[in-house]
Amino acid sequence: MLRVEQLSHSFMNGNESTAVLQQINFDVHKGEMIALLGSSGSGKSTLLNLMAGLMKPTEGQIFIADHNIVTMNENQLAEFRRKHIGFIFQAYELIANLTVRENVELPLVFQSIHPSIRKKKSLALLEQVGIPDKAELFPSQLSGGQQQRVSIARSLITEPSVIFADEPTGNLDTKTEEEIIMILKRLNKTMETTFIIVTHEREVAAQTEKIITLRDGYLVTEQETVQEGIVAGGTQIEN
Amino acid sequence: MRISDISRLSWDQVKRRKVVTALCAAGISIGCAAIIVAMSIGESAQLYIEKQMNSYLKMDEITVTANTGVKTGGNSSPTDLTLQDQGKLTEQKLDVMRQIQHVKAASPYRQLDYMELSTIDGLMAQNATEVIGTDLNMLTAFGNSFMQGGSSDMEGTIVLSYGATMGLVDELTRKNIQDQLNANPYDETVFQQYQNLNRVPTALYQKQIQLRMYSNDGPVLSMPLRVVGVLKKPAGVSDDQIMYDKKGYISLETAEILSKELKRGDDTGDSYNSIIVKVDEQSKIEQVEKQLQKLTVTTQTNLYQKERLASEFKIIKAAALGIGVFILIIASISIVVAMTMSTYQRRRQIGIMKVLGANLGQIRNMFIVEAALLGLLGGLLGVLFSYWIVWGINALIMNLSGEQDSVIIFIPLVTIPIGMAFALATGILSGIYPAISASRTDALTAIRRD
Repeated sequence: MLRVEQLSHSFMNGNESTAVLQQINFDVHKGEMIALLGSSGSGKSTLLNLMAGLMKPTEGQIFIADHNIVTMNENQLAEFRRKHIGFIFQAYELIANLTVRENVELPLVFQSIHPSIRKKKSLALLEQVGIPDKAELFPSQLSGGQQQRVSIARSLITEPSVIFADEPTGNLDTKTEEEIIMILKRLNKTMETTFIIVTHEREVAAQTEKIITLRDGYLVTEQETVQEGIVAGGTQIEN
Repeated sequence: MRISDISRLSWDQVKRRKVVTALCAAGISIGCAAIIVAMSIGESAQLYIEKQMNSYLKMDEITVTANTGVKTGGNSSPTDLTLQDQGKLTEQKLDVMRQIQHVKAASPYRQLDYMELSTIDGLMAQNATEVIGTDLNMLTAFGNSFMQGGSSDMEGTIVLSYGATMGLVDELTRKNIQDQLNANPYDETVFQQYQNLNRVPTALYQKQIQLRMYSNDGPVLSMPLRVVGVLKKPAGVSDDQIMYDKKGYISLETAEILSKELKRGDDTGDSYNSIIVKVDEQSKIEQVEKQLQKLTVTTQTNLYQKERLASEFKIIKAAALGIGVFILIIASISIVVAMTMSTYQRRRQIGIMKVLGANLGQIRNMFIVEAALLGLLGGLLGVLFSYWIVWGINALIMNLSGEQDSVIIFIPLVTIPIGMAFALATGILSGIYPAISASRTDALTAIRRD
């Protein structure tokens, strides 16, 4: 479903080139839930941005649903993101002047979907993430956990091939973090949506099926996890 | 993206950013109001002057005179009298003229001459009165209305214009003031008294007057004529103008008698020397004139005055429009600045939308619609302002002039869509740069949190 081939990326710092990702290769299958684990500066966020088509890699290819996104132009990428990619941000990134329902519907607005269909789908998703009664409230009237649930519902509304979650529990307390992870796991199972979660927390990564560990721009390990949680022999992450 | 969604999202932004919206809309509204008011003043002034000119130059009237044919010079005067008669203004031709479409009235005119008017008790006007023989019953059809009395078919009666009743003074009084003025030529008070002599109206209704004409044999005095009607003072004309507009209307029969009595020798027999045709609309003048010319008559209109006026006002209106457009250009700068600032303030939001799948065109359209909405709001406010401004100007004119019938500015309906179109265009044009700038926002840079 998602394939990364020989992916390298470097930033230009004046005349000097700084490599942030080097020769990354991995596959993600449909319906998998994987974690990209790494400390700050390991290159995990850069990898996420490259996979989401927000950046162009220096080298390598990225295939999502058999489309090479590296060769796409900005409008093609917008079209592709609209249909195949969902986003969950660390800081939720909801539009303040739109209601919860309108925020969830927003990706469908860009697809010119009829309002009645949008409404039906958004209410169903809000039901699934456990906040059906908050549909007509504004984001500022919700707690952090509730806002992240809205963000999850928004990422799912286009029924994308893959959802990228960038530190989805980074701004939440432990209890809410567990609730959000449970929701993601449940949706992964019930909707068979592929999730790629970027995190620096081993506990969060342990909740996924596979952990890809990055260190200093290199993919250091790619391990299956056991359902109980902690991976045996996994790499220790320094925060 | 559906139009309703673009409009709703853009309207949300317009509503949310109240101060920016108010400032932009205020700027555009001033420009829009300036265009509407400037065009309205131009249009109203043109109409007012046309009305004034019409009352003075009678632009909705056609003067028809006998057609004497083309003279080739020498002694080749037409020998065939039947041919010569073809151009005469006859009773039959008058009847045909009255049947022509758009002809409101047609009346024969016989201009006798300018004559001195005096009353039986010795009051006399210094300026001569134009005496016209016509169908007195048609006077009202030509836009005249009576201040006193009305028309009469009786011989020996006369209807006077308001100006003809002014300036009647006995000879002694006039001589006294003239002597005083000669003795003190720089005395302002005496000069004013002398001037006022010509402005004072005299009650002449049902009084008898006489007309004096100077011929080769010396002055000839007419029979006494009874004043059966005095016409109203024309609207919007000052006393200084009216006192020179002295006219006396008599019936054609009375004109015949007076002509013989005063030995004028201008008997036209069974034809008229002119006919005045009044047309229901100025725009139909040319059409009616062509119909009249088919009757082998000579026609004359004052329509060229209107054309001259229209070309002069075209320049004035273009200048007024230019001022309005200039104000709108200044206003558009405020939109460009406000929208560009808004683009920077909303970079994060634009970034999120792009990550969620909005393409360049969708982002651009949202900003352009937002700018168009600002233009529309400004336009609506501008229309409202223009009505207030025009109301204020009218109140000011009335206060300053003290006259109820002074120039009244009105807003022609056509200026409203013109003003709105300019406001909308200003909004859209000034929204283009910020919209392009917004659509080029880099999504990753926008959503990145440092």
